[in-house]
Amino acid sequence: MNDKALVLKGIRKAFAGHVAVNDLSLEVPRHSVFGLLGPNGAGKTTTLRMVMNILGPDKGTIEILGQPADHAARDRIGYMPEERGLYPRMVLEDQLVFMAAIKGVPRAEAKRRLGPWLERFSLSDWRRRKTNELSKGMAQKAQFIATVLHQPELLMVDEPLSGLDPVAMDVMREVLLDLRRAGATIVLSSHQMETVEKLCDRVALINRGEKVLDGTVSEVKARHGRNTIALAFDGDGGFIASLPGVAKVTDFGQYLEVRLEDGYDPQPLLREAAARLRLRRFEIVEPSLHDIFVETVTAHGKEAA
Amino acid sequence: MSAKLWAIVRREYLERVRSKAFVIGTILGPLLMAGMLVVPALAARSKGKPLRLAVLDATGELGETVEAALREARFDGLARFEVQPAASSALASEAELKQAVLEKRLDGYLALPEDVIASGNASYYGRNVTNHIDLRTLERTVSAVLVARRLASAGIDPTKVKNLTREVDMKTIRVSETGEREDRGAAMFLALILLMILYICILIWGQAILTSVIEEKTSRVVEVMAASVPTTTLLLGKLVGVGGAGLTQFLAWSLSLFAVSIASAGASGAFTMPEITPLMLVSFVAFFLLGFFFYASLYAAIGASVNTVQEAQGLVFPVMLPIVLAMVCWPAVLQSPDGPLAVTISLIPGMSPLIMFLRIVVLTPPMWQIALSILLLVLGILAVVWIAARVYRVGILMYGKRPTFPEIVRWVRHG
Repeated sequence: MNDKALVLKGIRKAFAGHVAVNDLSLEVPRHSVFGLLGPNGAGKTTTLRMVMNILGPDKGTIEILGQPADHAARDRIGYMPEERGLYPRMVLEDQLVFMAAIKGVPRAEAKRRLGPWLERFSLSDWRRRKTNELSKGMAQKAQFIATVLHQPELLMVDEPLSGLDPVAMDVMREVLLDLRRAGATIVLSSHQMETVEKLCDRVALINRGEKVLDGTVSEVKARHGRNTIALAFDGDGGFIASLPGVAKVTDFGQYLEVRLEDGYDPQPLLREAAARLRLRRFEIVEPSLHDIFVETVTAHGKEAA
Repeated sequence: MSAKLWAIVRREYLERVRSKAFVIGTILGPLLMAGMLVVPALAARSKGKPLRLAVLDATGELGETVEAALREARFDGLARFEVQPAASSALASEAELKQAVLEKRLDGYLALPEDVIASGNASYYGRNVTNHIDLRTLERTVSAVLVARRLASAGIDPTKVKNLTREVDMKTIRVSETGEREDRGAAMFLALILLMILYICILIWGQAILTSVIEEKTSRVVEVMAASVPTTTLLLGKLVGVGGAGLTQFLAWSLSLFAVSIASAGASGAFTMPEITPLMLVSFVAFFLLGFFFYASLYAAIGASVNTVQEAQGLVFPVMLPIVLAMVCWPAVLQSPDGPLAVTISLIPGMSPLIMFLRIVVLTPPMWQIALSILLLVLGILAVVWIAARVYRVGILMYGKRPTFPEIVRWVRHG
């Protein structure tokens, strides 16, 4: 029994004119929630499609739940693509039972499993309604049920929380964590860094088809050092950007986040700020995933250019 | 694997069969067909009002005989002419007759020149000169009068001549392996009706595949599908499911057509039902299915490579060309069902579903030709499905710009 849910080794995929994914290797441990991050056009969708065997990689190998990626392996995966899709004129129940049937679940069994899911996502009243009568948020929830009804061991979901109201968002988060507790592995792709930070154990950042960052969330943060300072104050903090050792200032008005250059001691900054401002807060904090994302992508972009 | 295919077939079939369009089409189709059969027959029967005409006689002696003959003239047992007496002073001159025609008191007039008996030249002046059945009757009636007059002046008895020159009344009897039966065009009529059903069903249900593929692309559901089953299974399931719905409607139409014709043949006795052999029935269904798979696969490939139905139109025509050509060729095939043209095009895959079927209905072709036609068609289908599957696999996940033809060729070569 392999302890990896998903292993990519040296995956490459080129389309006419450009390389979408280049020499990408990833390992997703079982029972983890794995964040696959990257800006638009980074190659995430192409990667997910290769795992789902919709596209074949030009080079490299993919292993799913300890077996090579093939049609049998993907019955064990639940895939919710970025572009949602349901048959518009189908009754919700028929639709979901059908989606499970093409994953190999007998119809009667799928019907039996459907009730609790509809209940959980407050869709029970919509069971016999047509898909094109559902609101966008409901369709999103329906799509998620279609993704999990065959009880996949590996779940690959693209932006699972987008388009949901706060209540549904909480339900979705609970469901994802319940599924993980029940033994599933979840790969999620999202641009909402706060979500990723809260949900994921591990993340990988892809840019221009290459992996630029990989590890557990705390590893990634530690690697970016404890050199971010949160400052809250009264007065004009404009001078801070020009102080020695300050790499970057993110200004929120009454609140600043300052990134110091590597190896730079925050003490001189504290003294200077205390002398010139009325400080309410001075704290050395971990960099947010958001900042790490932006910095890494920008740096990698410059390097590649 | 087969359970997944079955799930897709089931979904495609039910989605079609449960739609309002299907229910309406299945009921309305036979009504429309019945309408197409009955309305022209009724229309042909109602000949309209008889022609009001006058005879302008320059000979001074033929007029009355012609008028009398015209009053007697019948077509389908109905008097066709209402003759106004030329003697009445208001209609004495040609100018007055013209005036009467323009004022619609008359539909037309017949001018007999002085030398009409010798020259056989007469003229009809009328507002409407496209009513060729009436004009032919008019011409024949006047001819008969002239001929009778010429015979009489040559001293020959017209009734004797009429008896001696009576034409033959030929019955057409179709001889086949199962016997003989008289046929007054019903066989040809049946062949054309069946041909029409075949043609319409292949086109309608091929088109259904096109819209279905495009809809899957537009609703983006195709990515979920492609992530669950191989694209070939998806394509096959769609072809079989939609084809099944097509077959349902096709059979419903055909059976109601047969029922109506047998019932009306029995009730009216107006025509005898042409013989329908088991070979005809089997090939009717078989050529529908084969033709459907051939064209539906092509439609699927088109649907996969475009984004909207509008975009598809430009690609549809070249693909449909063979079946449209086949439809144009039917008169030539009926004329000479064993001729080189008919034999050749009944072997060409895109045309054979219509042409070979037509040949089977009118004249049983040699078995080897039927077998060869089906073999070539099946090979054609395999080739088309192979191409379509490749275009489909690449195309269904392509959005945006419509691919050019060379690009599609590249998909096929590298797919």
